[in-house]
Amino acid sequence: MTNEEYIRLEHISKKYDSSLVLKDITAVLHRGEILGFLGPSGAGKTTTIKIMTRQLHQTSGEAYVLGINSRKIDETIYEQIGIVTDNSGIYERMTVYQNLLYFAKILGVNPSKIDYFLKRVGLFEHKKKAAAKLSKGQTQRLILARAILHQPKVLFLDEPTSGLDPSTALEIHKLLVELKNEGMAIFLTTHNMEEANKLCDHVALLNEGVIVEYGTPQEICLKYNKEKKYRILLEEKKKVELEHSKETIELINNWLLSNRIEAIHSCEPTLETVFLEVTGRELQ
Amino acid sequence: MKSIHVNKLFAIINVKTRALLSKNFIIMPLFTIGFTFIIKIVYGSINIETDMSGYILGLGAVMNIGTVGVYCVSATLAEEKEKHTLRTLMTSSVNGLEFFLGSIIPVIMMMVIINFILIPISGCSFDIKDYLIYGLLSLVCSITSCMIGMVIGVFAKNQVTASTLTTPIILMLMMVPMFSRFNQFSELISQFLFTGILLDTINLITAGAVDVIDWLSIVILVIEIVVSVIVFIIIYRKNGYEKE
Repeated sequence: MTNEEYIRLEHISKKYDSSLVLKDITAVLHRGEILGFLGPSGAGKTTTIKIMTRQLHQTSGEAYVLGINSRKIDETIYEQIGIVTDNSGIYERMTVYQNLLYFAKILGVNPSKIDYFLKRVGLFEHKKKAAAKLSKGQTQRLILARAILHQPKVLFLDEPTSGLDPSTALEIHKLLVELKNEGMAIFLTTHNMEEANKLCDHVALLNEGVIVEYGTPQEICLKYNKEKKYRILLEEKKKVELEHSKETIELINNWLLSNRIEAIHSCEPTLETVFLEVTGRELQ
Repeated sequence: MKSIHVNKLFAIINVKTRALLSKNFIIMPLFTIGFTFIIKIVYGSINIETDMSGYILGLGAVMNIGTVGVYCVSATLAEEKEKHTLRTLMTSSVNGLEFFLGSIIPVIMMMVIINFILIPISGCSFDIKDYLIYGLLSLVCSITSCMIGMVIGVFAKNQVTASTLTTPIILMLMMVPMFSRFNQFSELISQFLFTGILLDTINLITAGAVDVIDWLSIVILVIEIVVSVIVFIIIYRKNGYEKE
């Protein structure tokens, strides 16, 4: 897998009337990576996607998608990128298969590949079902199938699992990891800390249009792990919480040797608690 | 100038045709056919010596051109916005011109076909020259009607708004020519409407006149089609298909 750069955001700012909704956003996404923009509603996540996908123009800064400046791209860029947003629609009068056939024709995809993508998103059994009759999870999977139908290099996902049941969300997560491993670069926005932690190679914590932290989820969490503690469950079901020290290490070592430890957890903060600490706001 | 990809254009035409044939939209052309049929029966039951078939065809054709183009184009565009499929389509490498042509071509075809269906229903008999003039005039008027529908569609966020915005336009395009026989003001205004020119021309064709359309009417038709295209281009350049 190469380290090919697919997206570069350089000091992007966006102003609506007098309010600045994005301030100096800088980020990079490489081939085979997932970059997550994590933040609450109104943080500027969707605006960032819209700028990169030519639906909006930034007030200042430059965005490059597949090496092309976002101000200069035309509709042919959509042959190389896929987009899933909360505003992605399906043709309700048509069946699942017909929906994909329509976009296959538009995107120049061989219709024989449709079944393969339906199987990948778990909709093959529903291919003849009217799109209007799909559940929310099935609709989201159809939208995702449509977005990856032409095997784009970059996939933009705006809150792809928002409002979905855990099992559907899990299936989508699995698919995203597969796509990433196939070399697709995925730009994901979410306010779900667990999702970001699980899927993303890099995360940008976005608050009121500003990136307040940027790095791998682990880097960010460890950076804010100021009170190093260990939470231990002993075999007699006794829970103990110990501060990091030489004595603690010795004690844990002894417990391990005497096989007394059932579970041990380091207590570094989650992305959610980091976000709360940095911004004073909750993600949800 | 944007390029047109035939595969994309045909795909859009296919889906738009499917939408037009759905119960939301097919009601308009069916109503036009039904209206013409009923008028024919009503006039047939009245014992009058004058041949009313030309007048009946004119009413049906004006209704078709005045309603189907304006309503179906604006409402299908509004529906795409309402269901978020327009944004999905425009971010799937379809350009504005392909979407525009894909949206209006099926409606224009439907309107012209219906205008021809109305000929036997009204009881008119045309020779080849009449068919050509009638077909050409139907085509020109259909394009203008669709352009008006496109302009309204840009401003309509959903189908309800599209219906509200199209109603006064449809009434004007339909009623003014229909009442031109009974009211001098309507007659005056009707001369400057493409639907009015259509009605007058049909009346002259069925009356067996030699010159069925004058130069002033041709100029008016050309001006209206050009103005409607220019207005659409200006609005499209400013707002795209979605005025936010």
